[in-house]
Amino acid sequence: MRDADRECLLSMYDERYALEDYQGGVPRWCTGCGNNAILTAVQRLCRDENLRPEKTVFVSGIGCSGRLPHYMKTYGFHGIHGRALPIAEGIKMARPDLHVFVSTGDGDCCSIGAAHWIHAIRYNMNMLVMLHDNEVYGLTKMQVSPTSPKGLRTNTTPKGAYLEPLQPLAVTLGVQNVSFVAQAVDWIPEALYEVISMGFHHKGLSFVRIVQRCPEWLPKQFDPWVRDPQKILLLSHERGLQISPALAKVYKNQEQHDPSNLSRGREIASLPDLLPVGILYRNPSVPCYEDLRKLTRLSSTEVIRAGLEAQLDKFTIRMTGQERNSQGSQ
Amino acid sequence: METEFKADVFFHLTGKRRGFGLDTIERLNLLPALFARYRKLEKLRYDFPLVLVREDSGDTWVQSLSELFDSMLREIAGDANGDRLIRHGLRMEREIRTLLAQDTSGSFSALWDIAASQLSNSEDLFWDSIKRLSSLRKLDGEVVDCDKATPGRLFRYAWETVQRKKAHRFRERVNRLATKLSDILRAGFARSEEGRSPQMLRASVGSGYEQSFDFETMSRLLARSGSDGLTRERSRRVQWLLSVLQSQRFFPAQSGPEWRDEGAELYSFAFENCASAVEAYRERLPNMVELTKALAIADLEIEGRYEGSRHDAFFEEFGAENLDPSEAALFPDYLVHLNAHRLSAVEAATVAEALSASLPVKVLVQTDNIVAPSPLVDGQLAFGLRSSRIASSMIGGEIYVLQSSSSALFQLRDRIYRGMENSGPALFSVFSGASENTSHVPPYLAAAAAMESRAFPTFVYDPSAGRDWASRFSLEVNPQVEADWPLHDFSYEDEAHQRVPENYAFTLVDFLGCDRRYARDFAKVPRSAWEGDFLGVPELLNNETGTIHNRIPYVLMLDENDVLQKVIVDDKLIQEARHCREMWRSLQELAGIHNSHADRLLARERKAWEEQLRHEAEARGNGQMPAGRGTAPGLSTSIASPPSPPAELKTAPPSDEAYIETSRCTSCNECINLNKKMFAYNSEKQAFIADRDAGSYRQLVEAAESCPVSIIHPGKPRNPDEPGMEELVKRAAPFL
Repeated sequence: MRDADRECLLSMYDERYALEDYQGGVPRWCTGCGNNAILTAVQRLCRDENLRPEKTVFVSGIGCSGRLPHYMKTYGFHGIHGRALPIAEGIKMARPDLHVFVSTGDGDCCSIGAAHWIHAIRYNMNMLVMLHDNEVYGLTKMQVSPTSPKGLRTNTTPKGAYLEPLQPLAVTLGVQNVSFVAQAVDWIPEALYEVISMGFHHKGLSFVRIVQRCPEWLPKQFDPWVRDPQKILLLSHERGLQISPALAKVYKNQEQHDPSNLSRGREIASLPDLLPVGILYRNPSVPCYEDLRKLTRLSSTEVIRAGLEAQLDKFTIRMTGQERNSQGSQ
Repeated sequence: METEFKADVFFHLTGKRRGFGLDTIERLNLLPALFARYRKLEKLRYDFPLVLVREDSGDTWVQSLSELFDSMLREIAGDANGDRLIRHGLRMEREIRTLLAQDTSGSFSALWDIAASQLSNSEDLFWDSIKRLSSLRKLDGEVVDCDKATPGRLFRYAWETVQRKKAHRFRERVNRLATKLSDILRAGFARSEEGRSPQMLRASVGSGYEQSFDFETMSRLLARSGSDGLTRERSRRVQWLLSVLQSQRFFPAQSGPEWRDEGAELYSFAFENCASAVEAYRERLPNMVELTKALAIADLEIEGRYEGSRHDAFFEEFGAENLDPSEAALFPDYLVHLNAHRLSAVEAATVAEALSASLPVKVLVQTDNIVAPSPLVDGQLAFGLRSSRIASSMIGGEIYVLQSSSSALFQLRDRIYRGMENSGPALFSVFSGASENTSHVPPYLAAAAAMESRAFPTFVYDPSAGRDWASRFSLEVNPQVEADWPLHDFSYEDEAHQRVPENYAFTLVDFLGCDRRYARDFAKVPRSAWEGDFLGVPELLNNETGTIHNRIPYVLMLDENDVLQKVIVDDKLIQEARHCREMWRSLQELAGIHNSHADRLLARERKAWEEQLRHEAEARGNGQMPAGRGTAPGLSTSIASPPSPPAELKTAPPSDEAYIETSRCTSCNECINLNKKMFAYNSEKQAFIADRDAGSYRQLVEAAESCPVSIIHPGKPRNPDEPGMEELVKRAAPFL
């Protein structure tokens, strides 16, 4: 039976999922938290793409962002600190048929998980990675994070942060094999949805940094950008984000940016003061690791068992000739 | 008045020799003049012999011997002993050709060894060269020269190669499905009552740690977890699927030559006639349907998407009529090898029927003798009557059709493979060149001459190549496709030992010259009479207006001593040549060459264009500027006006009413937590004011203040009596 026929057969009974089908419980984030916007956006994406919950996995590390899988009625994996990406890569390797989403935070990804982050970009496995970046450690009540701006007073830096913050977009754009880099902010839900939707449709690792407000610990941190639309730079392009008239009316500061232009993408990633929103870079031709390493033969139980036996046989203790002789003489 | 009987004119008109001066060419074994260069084929490097590349030794399925040697010799190009290696390599190649010409056969490596041992004593260092060259020999396979068996072997090999790949794909799919289906059964068992029994749990732990567990308790705990094993219906279905997949007889279960020994015997798919192939197809159809059904159900089953209540009804109705060509393409194709001379009318009708019914048959019709006399009209030729007619009557539909002389088979190797690979039927019509009537000509040469002379043109009709004839039909392999007859440079030495260059067109008459049956239609002109009123056959054929009279057509032929002979031709063959040219021209038209429709259209357009130019020239003469010259029509020269600003967006609702800019809501729950009745989420989980009167103006103002993105606009108060109204109105002001 052709695939088209099979789809046709399956559509004999129309199955459409509603937003509620993906909602698992009431989020325990603080009231007003930007994570809510991200959660809504991914739930809408799942519904609009009609993703089957049993074919969808949300993976996270530790932090406020790490709670996201709990609120999705799909498969989920709340992993250990900094290791969301390796877990997601393992899932994708074993089950390339699943849709894999990763939620990670500025601490989880850019601090303890930085090594995995760099290599996940290079491996370019097909998944959507959302970096929930609130520039502070919120779950543990306000410590400095690698993306905290210089001078930010936190519990660990009472005299203000000493270092310049890491720029996650610029770092990602500097890694070999990077294939999709975008930015969104939680307070423009329309653009947030469009950006993650484009990331979802991109084949390869889609890295989306989502600037996320923390009303509990840094309530005023993003006010300049939330209050002043001129400080948001909307990136639009026919192969990138398409801006609706409603959005264009509020956010007049726009740039036509071709997502295949890596060097301009890098410049945009490092703009001082302005927050770019849209697709900075996209290259669909970068190969995915799971395709490069696709198994050519079926790993059936027998094959796996035979492989294990062969490995374990290497450790079989064999008697030396002397031992055998001494045993024989007894 | 003097009267002289002209024997040549009489011969031309009647085909009978009367009087003196004309010799018969029978038993002279004359050859067309252009064959002079090809007397000793084994000394030449050309497409043949071919190596049918063994699957494990290369990517391509067929390779020519000379190309094989070339690629070996390319690798040693920079070597210090390069010259010697190349010389010895080419000696080896010639030796292998000679061996084949002496009817030795075998694989490339076997022939290589024989040739090496025969040449080993010929020169010092020869062994050294052979050793070097052997290390570069990568491909291996049967070597095939151009003879009567070639089409059969070549096409069968192409077919086998495709079937092997199909079998591989099929096995991969079935093995995967079988593994996943067994996994379902295994998982089902583990969750069943029996699978959760203490004995089973004990057995799964192994003896080492048996004492550490309480299997009774474990079993009870697992039973309480609630999930049960497979339903009886699903388990039965999965078992049925496994049995169908594993008992199929279409493909071997293992790769390699060994057939499965257990279970039923495998089907065979190569046939000597179409009727038995069709019969076999019909007989196996129910099994094919069942297997297709099983594959489809298994695909759904392993995804967990098969639901009996929904899908059973469909699959119960699933029958042969639901099979489409892409599904049939999963299964092996039926190869039918026919010989045109033994092709009965009934069989020919079966072939046509099977092909047009889109059965997965690959029919090879081999012709050894394309210019047999017509069975209907005495003395008239029937060009490859059966094979060629079948082939040309089949083009235009959904059938892959390829016609070729065996000399061009190597050039068409990709096309042949494509035809075999293509889902759906294919028809291959091949002229082998091995006719007993041309036994003094090597089959390769006879086949090539048939193609050159347009007696057996090569064409490919590939329905999968596109939607129109231009992309589907191709004559590309034929020499000089634009011309009626291909023109060749030809030079000879005259009696004064001077070189005489000439252009010589190769026509049907030249081709018939090598066929003994037509010797009576030719007559050799004695040397003394060469200066008569003769005219080359191509010139006569080109003279369509008939202005040349009284000139007798001739062709140049070679005798066994390589001496040129002028041979005149009777009118019957000239008529045949015209007929042959007409057939060629209609093929040309199909291929878009000198297409009459296109030519007419072109003439009309050219006329219109010239007319326009003339008008413009006249206009210029009158001092007017030509309009629109140099720009494409429809493009205005003015700069496009800037795009009009987008239509004004809907103006915001009046600020008297409370409202939320819903599309900007970040779903942060602030307002919802304040008053669930007043504020609610829509289907996008974005807030709107559900019931303005479900709360106070104070709540509205507080919601506006706490909204992180300031999209709540409280509007004017409805109830002016609310306590603290003055202050509230002040607080609401920034959000109006």
